[in-house]
Amino acid sequence: MQFPIPDIGWAPLLPPLILLVTAALCLFFALFLEGGRTSALLALVGLGTAAVINLFLFQEARFGDPTAGFWYRYLADLPAAGFNFVILIGTALAILISYDYLERAELDHPEYYPLILLASVGAMVMAAAADLIVLLVGLEIMSLAVYVLSAWRQGSRESQEAGMKYFLLGAFASAFFIYGIALLYGATGAFHYTGIISNMGGEAWSQALAVIGGILILGGLAFKVALVPFHQWAPDVYTGAPTPITAFMSVVVKAAAFASLIRITTLFFPDFAAVITIALTVLVALTLVVGNLAALGQLGVKRMLAYSAVAHAGYLGLAVLASGELGIRAVIWYLTAYALMNIGAFSVLTLITDKNDRGDNLKNLAGLGNRRPTMALALTLFLLSLAGIPPLAGFTAKLLVLQAAIETGYLWLAILGVITSIVAVVYYFRVISTMYFRAPEVDVPEFHSRATNIAIGIAALGTILLGIFPDWWLQLVSAGRQIVTSL
Amino acid sequence: MIPLLGGLVLGLSSLKFPLSPNLLSQRAIALLVTILTFVIAIFLPGSESVERTWIPSFGAYFSLSADGAGSVLVLASSLVMIPVVLCAGLRIRERTGAFLSLLLLMQAGLNGLFLAKDLVLFYVFWEATLIPSLLMLGIWGRNGRRQATIKYLIYAVAGSLLMLVTVLAIKPISGAESYRLADLLVATTTLSLKTQVWLFLGFSVAFMVKLPLWPLHSWLADFHTQNHPSGVADVAGTLYKVGGYGFFAWALPLLPAAAVTVGPFLLILAAFTAIYGAMVAIAQNELKRLLAFASISHMGIVGVGLFGLHLAGLNGAVYLLAAQMFTTGGLFLISGMLFERQGSFKLDKYGGLAASAPALAAVTLFILFASIGVPGLANFPGEFLSLVGAFQANPVAAALAVLAVIAAGVYGVNLFQRLYQGNQGKPVRDISPMELFVLVPVLSGILWLGVSPAPQLEQIESQSRVIVDQVKASPSGLAVGGDR
Repeated sequence: MQFPIPDIGWAPLLPPLILLVTAALCLFFALFLEGGRTSALLALVGLGTAAVINLFLFQEARFGDPTAGFWYRYLADLPAAGFNFVILIGTALAILISYDYLERAELDHPEYYPLILLASVGAMVMAAAADLIVLLVGLEIMSLAVYVLSAWRQGSRESQEAGMKYFLLGAFASAFFIYGIALLYGATGAFHYTGIISNMGGEAWSQALAVIGGILILGGLAFKVALVPFHQWAPDVYTGAPTPITAFMSVVVKAAAFASLIRITTLFFPDFAAVITIALTVLVALTLVVGNLAALGQLGVKRMLAYSAVAHAGYLGLAVLASGELGIRAVIWYLTAYALMNIGAFSVLTLITDKNDRGDNLKNLAGLGNRRPTMALALTLFLLSLAGIPPLAGFTAKLLVLQAAIETGYLWLAILGVITSIVAVVYYFRVISTMYFRAPEVDVPEFHSRATNIAIGIAALGTILLGIFPDWWLQLVSAGRQIVTSL
Repeated sequence: MIPLLGGLVLGLSSLKFPLSPNLLSQRAIALLVTILTFVIAIFLPGSESVERTWIPSFGAYFSLSADGAGSVLVLASSLVMIPVVLCAGLRIRERTGAFLSLLLLMQAGLNGLFLAKDLVLFYVFWEATLIPSLLMLGIWGRNGRRQATIKYLIYAVAGSLLMLVTVLAIKPISGAESYRLADLLVATTTLSLKTQVWLFLGFSVAFMVKLPLWPLHSWLADFHTQNHPSGVADVAGTLYKVGGYGFFAWALPLLPAAAVTVGPFLLILAAFTAIYGAMVAIAQNELKRLLAFASISHMGIVGVGLFGLHLAGLNGAVYLLAAQMFTTGGLFLISGMLFERQGSFKLDKYGGLAASAPALAAVTLFILFASIGVPGLANFPGEFLSLVGAFQANPVAAALAVLAVIAAGVYGVNLFQRLYQGNQGKPVRDISPMELFVLVPVLSGILWLGVSPAPQLEQIESQSRVIVDQVKASPSGLAVGGDR
């Protein structure tokens, strides 16, 4: 018996498919092998292969006709391929820092790495989706895996609470999201972005439905990227989850949600009604202010980084508001830099806290500059970059975002962004000043891991090189046909 | 680029890698790098400019050029850096390698800042230089260093981030092709007065903080009081008084109409800063605080020269910037030497040192004279020209600033008396050959700038002329733009 294989254009799907196969293989091997180390190596190989394939797709998107699958519902255009790189880098770094961490924390169960891979499959699907249903499928694949991972530390109340909270609120957000899709379908009669654009203003078009649907979808995505006031879950979940998972969430989940958000805002969102842009403007402004001010009050570094992740969502939101070519390249560039510097900072954190992620308080960090100069230097580098100090990657990222915002007329929001980043400099610098300017107060366990060191090295090198030579990556993500919906 | 590489090498070596060279070789490398930089700086004027694309899709270039005032400031600062590195190697006893690498990084940033001919690049160096000076204060400072660091950080970052918005906005608003100075100069003249004023104010906060001008000066006193008692970091901070250069190289030429409009107000502010700084300095009882306020007063005179918007004043202001690196820097080095002898900066702990340390007294007197503007020494040409320029713009404000110069005589002589004359305390060691050797570059710099100002002024004037021309060409500038 022969199954007809539908001609759906498999090429764009290859990167997530490879990860999917790798995840399945990892699970299969888990039947025979103790611990997850083999899976981790296998996962890295899978990520590498996916990256190579993605490179071909990326080149195709830059020079040739971007490929697409499922009749232009699954795209491999420049933004999609660009975001795939961010997702792959983020996942690979997260796996590297989990390698020794899991064993030390006694959490080394074989399902860990497959779940991370599945989450990044979902993230890639979200970045590539040009259809609301595909977007929803990606969102759910990613979210379910991350819910489980954030509760990975069995027996720890914080971790259980983090998973539960994330799951309940996430399910709630998904429900809004799905309801938004339904309303939008009611307003336009289409799930496909091309259909939505062409039916806009047509016979069956209902502006009221579209606006409500649009706002609900915006809310759902705002929850995933933790825009204020949809950020309430973020600090608790980021603090409760195992640190590598926090790093993973703060980068990959954010990248996926921003990828889909900027695709939607560039294509059709603002055309529904001005109120959607206004809503997004308010969210971004609130996020900038609340995220940065709340981070200022934190004593735990992990929690501070959680709030700083909220604040960075605000800067990314600026670029999303700018939308269009400038906005897209700013978001991709920002997220690339953010993946390196944020995961870098979390990686250092895994080496200086105890096996239950405790001891990230400022007083535990006092004197780190003397005790472990390399770690302190690396953390300093990442924090300075997060604060946007030149010549590090975070500076150029901020530059691009502010440029995009200023050139599209959001001058005041850009100024707000700059004023709030003064606050940001203070809370990042407080950590640095504690490491160097205060004498050690308590005994702190030391932990060394070669895999984590490799991750820190990659992240540090990337942060510096991207900062000094920002252009090659900027050129790559600005060229070619930007967004494609159909030919 | 050489100091940058040196800084990185030293930075790596201070990480206690297995191959770490010992302290002696770290000192040797640092000293060698600074001397090499100085030699290069001598040949800098007339050397070819460097221009590479950096972020073309953004319009930013890696553009450095030794034309104009920048090379004078590089030369002066790299000469001051030699005693600083020497002294740091001797006096900083904890984590010396790290301190030296920060010093070199700072010098690299300063050189870049003085030579940058692209606004984004200038901003990058401006901000990058902040980090070493912050860390020097925070790690090696005295007991109140955390407070001082945070204060310094907030002032500096608030200013420079506003500047960042201005930098980002100036290209799209003016429609310039890139962020290079040459392109911006052409494009910004078309801006309306209102836009220019806004942009000028955006620049001004950052530059006023770093100049510093009253009322944004208050970080400076804490910065100097809390820095390492050797005075080394203070000298580095003195080199980093780049606000005046920021006005001179960017804000004034790019926004001439705004300079004509806002300039007079800033001139008054600067004159007030000069007299205020001098008055407060007279009242100080702590050596470093006194020097800090004296330096604020000098910076006021720099401002007076700049905002007069006349050729002489502009030349004088930049010249004074270069000269004060030697005079204020030298005094901070002396303060470190005094601290080593008496263990305190309180002036009432001193007195009568001249009897046991006559040579030290003589050297101090020499630098103090230079600092208060005695003719023939470094500060005089700069102060004189600044005031000449200001008199043509606003005689009243200039007259006030002259009062500051007189007041400088008061605190200068008073300081010398309280340190070296009067009741004799326990005898102290006179200046050692090593200390004298450390001060030789400073003393020769003071003589050099005092005796032969013409070549440097010529260098500076090529750039001042651009400002004067821009001011004359601007619609509101016809009335004021006078010549020498």
